[in-house]
Amino acid sequence: MTVLLLLAGGGFGAGVFGSLLGLGGGILIVPLLTFGFGLPFREAVGVSLVCVIVTSSAAASVYLERHLANLRLGMLLEVFTASGALVGGLVAFLLPDRVLAGLFAMLLTYTGATMLRSGAAAARPGAGPIESGDDPAGPADAPGSFRAALAGPGYRPARLGAGIGGSVFAGLVSALLGVGGGIVKVPLMNLVMGVPLKVATATSNLMIGVTAAASAIVYLLRGGIDPLIAGPTAVGVFAGAMVGSRVAQRIDLRLLRLLFVAVLALTAIQMTLRALG
Amino acid sequence: MNVPARDRSAATASGATRVEGSIALVLRAGTLLSVGLLAIGVALLSLAGRSPLDATWPPLDLGRIPGDLLALRPEGFLWLGLLATLSTPLLRVAASVVGFLGAGERRMAGLGTAVLVVIALAVVVAQRTAA
Repeated sequence: MTVLLLLAGGGFGAGVFGSLLGLGGGILIVPLLTFGFGLPFREAVGVSLVCVIVTSSAAASVYLERHLANLRLGMLLEVFTASGALVGGLVAFLLPDRVLAGLFAMLLTYTGATMLRSGAAAARPGAGPIESGDDPAGPADAPGSFRAALAGPGYRPARLGAGIGGSVFAGLVSALLGVGGGIVKVPLMNLVMGVPLKVATATSNLMIGVTAAASAIVYLLRGGIDPLIAGPTAVGVFAGAMVGSRVAQRIDLRLLRLLFVAVLALTAIQMTLRALG
Repeated sequence: MNVPARDRSAATASGATRVEGSIALVLRAGTLLSVGLLAIGVALLSLAGRSPLDATWPPLDLGRIPGDLLALRPEGFLWLGLLATLSTPLLRVAASVVGFLGAGERRMAGLGTAVLVVIALAVVVAQRTAA
């Protein structure tokens, strides 16, 4: 009973923080399960993927109803994120836990650095979300063309080749480390493809479900998902994400962000130590 | 008959809006069903006084799920909840394919089909490589 409550409570905390800080819960769930409950790294990743699908599906329905996500662009890119996730799901069973822990430590460090940078940028006067600039998509597309179909109000996605390559990488990262991959996809769409930040965030969220499902299927069929652990954790994450999305407007996120970066740094150190044996 | 480009793009936009509405519904229903099943499984696990860490990890056996559900065993609800969770994004893609076909957007329907092919490939490869 106590373990059940702790799993659900840990999932709840991951859901609240993930929702407040705009991260999937995966970056918190994997350390929670490995360090808190002693699960092998790969099992923690399997459970995390399930949680990521739950939160993504819930959030994506809201984004679609508000017409924030670019469904067509998402459907193009998720062919490649799903392909990367399929490969990543298979590779994950070939790599030792220590290698995966080392990769996760790198992801934590990168995420922490990104959060610090974005926090500093938001604090600068006049700073705001990065929007598409001098139309990197080049000359206008012919009406009815495929590229024209991917356009949204006021923007046209550029550099589709880079977007496709980056999407394969995002799928690999998601499958190996049990995260949604938004940390790769959002900057890819925003900075490289010139998609407005809000649309990139919503579209990335939409894609996460399919991406994580492609690798979660591999984990499930190869016995890598424990339903007794996944159940309470996923229910907790879902409840936490619901609460987080409702209180986000009322909380000063600057202090929370700094606290979270400190937690990420400590976790990265622990993961590095685990990787080094 | 030639359709002006502006009319064509307006039709495309309204088609996409319809598709978005229907797949948002699929996602919402799938999430509620998944979380509901998982929550019932967790409640039954709690009533049985079993710790997730101590209990034997039951293997996925589709044939056992109906019996487990009828006997109110937590495994049945947890496995069905997990399957519903994993199926929700795939149903979303399937709904997109149907929606885009209905809106006459074959290219987008083709992309959705490609995603489903990748998922089918994942099932086949995972089964073949499973120990």
